[in-house]
Amino acid sequence: MNLYRTELHRFMRRRLTLLFGLCSLVGLLLLAFMVAATSRNAPTPDELAFAEEQAAMYQADLDRCRAEEDYFEQEWGYNANADYPELGHAEVCEELLAWGTDPVDHYPYGVFRFAEDGVLILIGVTIVAGLLVMLLAASLIGAEWSSGGMSNLLVWHPNRWKVWGAKLGAALTMCAAAVGALLALAFPLFYAAAALRGEVGELDAQWWEGALAVLARTAALTLGMTVAGSALAMLGRHTAVAGGVIAGYLVIGDLLVRLAGMAFKVQYPDLFSLYTWVTVWIIGDTQLYSYTDLPEEMSDPMTLTIPAAGLLIGGVVLVLTALATWSFTRRDVT
Amino acid sequence: MPPVIEISGLRKTYQRLLRQPHHALDGLDMEVAAGQVHGFLGPNGSGKTTTLRALLGLIGTDAGTMRIFGEEVPRRLPRVIARIGAVVESPQFFKHFSGRLTLQILAESTGIPATRVDEVLEQVGLRDQAKQSIKGYSLGMRQRLAVAQALLKRPELLVLDEPANGLDPAGIHHMRALLQWLAHDQGTTVLVSSHLLSEVQQLCDSMTIVSRGRRITAGKVADIIAGHSSAHLSVRFADPGLIRDAAAALTDAADGVSVTTEPERLVVTGAPEAAWVTKTLADAGLYLSELTAETKNLESVFLELTGTAPRDGRAVQVGQPAPDAPTTPAETDGQTGDEDR
Repeated sequence: MNLYRTELHRFMRRRLTLLFGLCSLVGLLLLAFMVAATSRNAPTPDELAFAEEQAAMYQADLDRCRAEEDYFEQEWGYNANADYPELGHAEVCEELLAWGTDPVDHYPYGVFRFAEDGVLILIGVTIVAGLLVMLLAASLIGAEWSSGGMSNLLVWHPNRWKVWGAKLGAALTMCAAAVGALLALAFPLFYAAAALRGEVGELDAQWWEGALAVLARTAALTLGMTVAGSALAMLGRHTAVAGGVIAGYLVIGDLLVRLAGMAFKVQYPDLFSLYTWVTVWIIGDTQLYSYTDLPEEMSDPMTLTIPAAGLLIGGVVLVLTALATWSFTRRDVT
Repeated sequence: MPPVIEISGLRKTYQRLLRQPHHALDGLDMEVAAGQVHGFLGPNGSGKTTTLRALLGLIGTDAGTMRIFGEEVPRRLPRVIARIGAVVESPQFFKHFSGRLTLQILAESTGIPATRVDEVLEQVGLRDQAKQSIKGYSLGMRQRLAVAQALLKRPELLVLDEPANGLDPAGIHHMRALLQWLAHDQGTTVLVSSHLLSEVQQLCDSMTIVSRGRRITAGKVADIIAGHSSAHLSVRFADPGLIRDAAAALTDAADGVSVTTEPERLVVTGAPEAAWVTKTLADAGLYLSELTAETKNLESVFLELTGTAPRDGRAVQVGQPAPDAPTTPAETDGQTGDEDR
């Protein structure tokens, strides 16, 4: 426990931590200001009336589709039901005609709506906070290796399992605290921006359930990122190694993996992209379409689910952590 | 009383790609008795720091056993680590932390009270620089801070790698006094690795000299120096022209006496005693102006034992024996080397 508190203390007292904290705070305030400044005001009564009228027309169209089996032949000139053999007619109508039935769909462009746009911004804030803590954690461990501080620490605490555990615990605590603090600050900021210069929208129980689930998964992702960053720094024994691997993957690694998948005619090359799985984990179940099928004989899309994404991302983090643990507990400290 | 540190047959080999493996430790033995300042000497690359790292669990070894306070290390090192303070090489600290914060964090990690931090800062002479960022510390100040962190635990065993590194003369003097006080007044056992041979000679009670990963001698410092000193007498005359006659008189007077003439003096080896030289020369009508006994210092003993003295103006390469030196360090010293085998 002492060691964990010490690691936490050291984490908080680093200049880079203070710098990143300050930058996050300023960045958040700046973003909220820009959102408020660039948002159009909430729709005027005339604009609202127009949007509601449009939505009513779309709703009528949808209702008609549900009621008439040959709606698509009449209106579109072909039977769209054939494209969705697994769905019933009403579900196909929902799939194809649901957009526009909400007045929001017809609002003037540029209105910041907290109920929709706010969640995306909060996801972004969470991911940026996670990236910063990941870099901080990697830098703390990397700097200790490159400076010789690790050797000094191990002379005090020879049990390497405890040292590694304390470091991971401190990094995870910092990540949770940073993400929690930034979200707690971002929520009222963007809510206020929407209330002042846009529209808040309806934050009903369903909204809260969906938003909290998405943000909880994103926060969990940042914890995984922090562990992965720490593990890479522990494996490479230098901040630059961890930073290089992360930046290398984010910038070109992912692209290369996708290109290789396409070159080898892999049916779903997106499967090899970590971005795909991260998106599924945050946004929800997603369908992948085959790259190799001819248009006339398209195979069924592959559905990636949240549990599958969780397992894969968790597996990657686990493998990195296991390697780092093995390396730290077995390799010489020179 | 059993030794505080016992090392036996320690081996550490670094495998190298496409090159011969490097034997950093090649069956090293060492013992450090309680309450002493023990010097650990050896040329560069002889395995001193490797030994200390192995002892403190920082690196693994391929063979051999190590015990500290009777506990086998590194397996049971966590049981005794609270009794050990150590500085291995020149430890670096976070540059933007102050000296006090650095020590506070370490103290906090093992539950040492914060008051102890000020005590050790005072002990190593860093009280007035405690709040200063380490970035502004000189090498000597960092070294003092490193020693301070080793003292935090009130250790029963202090392991210091080159503690005088970077210290000014006053700092070296202070460090020597501190370590001797710890050992002789507080009962702390101190193991010091150092290259400053004159410092070791003044500071240490006993020592171990290693070369190429093996112990080549060990014992009390005075005994080792005495064991490798032969009686050399330097004789000078007011008139250097008498040197040749004096050399002849001495060599004719007794068997086993050898004399080396130099332009300003002659060096007599194998004389029964200094008075014999005085009398023999006086009997021959030669009156000397100066007679001094030349005893070896630790440096010359060290160079002789480790075979690292430059030969014909050429430096001996790190990890290599001198061109005409024996092939194994043990062979350089039959008397003390044998006791280690």
